[in-house]
Amino acid sequence: MPGIDQVLSRAMGIPGVLGAGLIDWTSGLTLGTAGRAPHGDHEAAAADTAEVVQAVARNATFDTAGGSAPDLEDLIITAAGSYHLIRFVHTAFDSQTYLYLWLDRGQANLAVARLRLRDLAAELVAA
Amino acid sequence: MALPLPPRTPPASAGLLERFAAEGVTGVLRGPHGSFYLLDGAVYCAEAATAPGLDVRLAAAGKVPSHRWQNAVETAGPDHRGGQFLVREGWLTQGELEICHLGALLDAAFFALPLRPETTSFTPGTAHWLGVVRRISAAALQRATARRRALLDRLRPWEAADTSPVVPVPPGRSGPSPTTGRQRRLLARADGRHTPTELARALGQSAFVTLLDIRRLAAAGLIRMPPATALPRRRPGACLDGRPAPGSRPTPTWQLPVPDILSTADPDIALLIRLRTALEENL
Repeated sequence: MPGIDQVLSRAMGIPGVLGAGLIDWTSGLTLGTAGRAPHGDHEAAAADTAEVVQAVARNATFDTAGGSAPDLEDLIITAAGSYHLIRFVHTAFDSQTYLYLWLDRGQANLAVARLRLRDLAAELVAA
Repeated sequence: MALPLPPRTPPASAGLLERFAAEGVTGVLRGPHGSFYLLDGAVYCAEAATAPGLDVRLAAAGKVPSHRWQNAVETAGPDHRGGQFLVREGWLTQGELEICHLGALLDAAFFALPLRPETTSFTPGTAHWLGVVRRISAAALQRATARRRALLDRLRPWEAADTSPVVPVPPGRSGPSPTTGRQRRLLARADGRHTPTELARALGQSAFVTLLDIRRLAAAGLIRMPPATALPRRRPGACLDGRPAPGSRPTPTWQLPVPDILSTADPDIALLIRLRTALEENL
C-alpha cells in the first residue's frame, strides 16, 4: 500500500520525468519531493505552482459540472524544453493537494505522462 | 471575538517554535490556541481548537466512525502507533493517512501560531498517541502559514464575516451567481446560526479554507455581512481629537441612511454599501 514517498518514487519512472512532488495548494507546502526541481529549488517550485492552482481552484469558470464532486483534474503548462504537469488528488475527506511533475519535453510523451500521473494520484488514496 | 490568526507581518526574530526546533527537542509545546508535537526538532503533529482534527475530518467523510477512532486510541495509543493501527485495520490507506494528517497539521498550525513565550509551555518527552506519520520542518511550516495569511489578507475588507453566523443572500433577479463546489456546500449548510469555523467542523473541512471561501462569498455579495456595530457617526466639523480644527470651515453634514435601506437583495447595491462602510471606517 503506497504512501507519498512510494508514489513519488514511482512517478520518477515515468519517461522524461525530471522531478516530482506532492504539494498543498493553499500554502505551497511540499508534502514530499523526488528528483530535481526547476532551478534546484523544490520549495520555490511548490510555492509557484500552488499560485497557479489557486487561481484555477477559486474560480467558478473552471467548475461547470455544477455538482458536488470535484471537477478539476489536470493543469498542463508547456514551455520551451519542458512540461509542467499538475494533477489534483481527490480524497474522500477534505484535502487540497496535487501531484506535480516536471518533464523534459524532448524525452517525455505528454499523453502518457498524464495518464500515468492520473493512475498514481488514484493509487495514493485507493485501498 | 476575533479568531486567533497569525500576525500579518511575521516577527523579525525567529518564533518560539523555530527556536525549540533548532535545539532538536522532543516533546510538546502548548500555546493558548493549540499544541505542537516535536520529534528531534521536527513537527509531526499539531492540534488547535479552531481547526478540525484528523478524527473530525475522517468521521465527516464516513472513513472512520468515531467508535472505531476510540478503539484505535485505546488499542494503539499507549504505544504511540494509532496512525499505523488505522492503516493496518484497513480503515485508511497509507497515502490517505499521510495526506489527511498533513492537512490537519497545516490547518492547526495556522491557528496555533505564533507561540509566545509568556503563554507557551514545553513538556519534554511527551508523544502523541497517533505516532509519527510524517514530519515537517518548523521553518517550512512557518513559511506555509505566512503564505496562507497573505491569501486571507487580500480579502481583509470582509474580515468581519470570519466570526459571524453565515447568512446566505437570496439570489436576485439575475439568478444564482456562479460558485465553486466547495462554496455551494458551504451555502447549503449555512443556516444563519453557525459561524464559519462551526461550519468547517460540521463539514469536517479545513477551517482556513472555509474562512477564505466565506470572505470570497461575502465579497461576491452571496452572504450577508454582519451589521457594522458602533460605527461612530460623523459630526460636522469634528476632527480626530474631538475638537474642531482651527480655522476649519464647516463641513457638509451627512448621516448614515436609516437601517432599512441598508438591507437589499441587489448585489450591486450591497457591494456599494459595503464599499462605503469600509471607506467610512478609514475616515
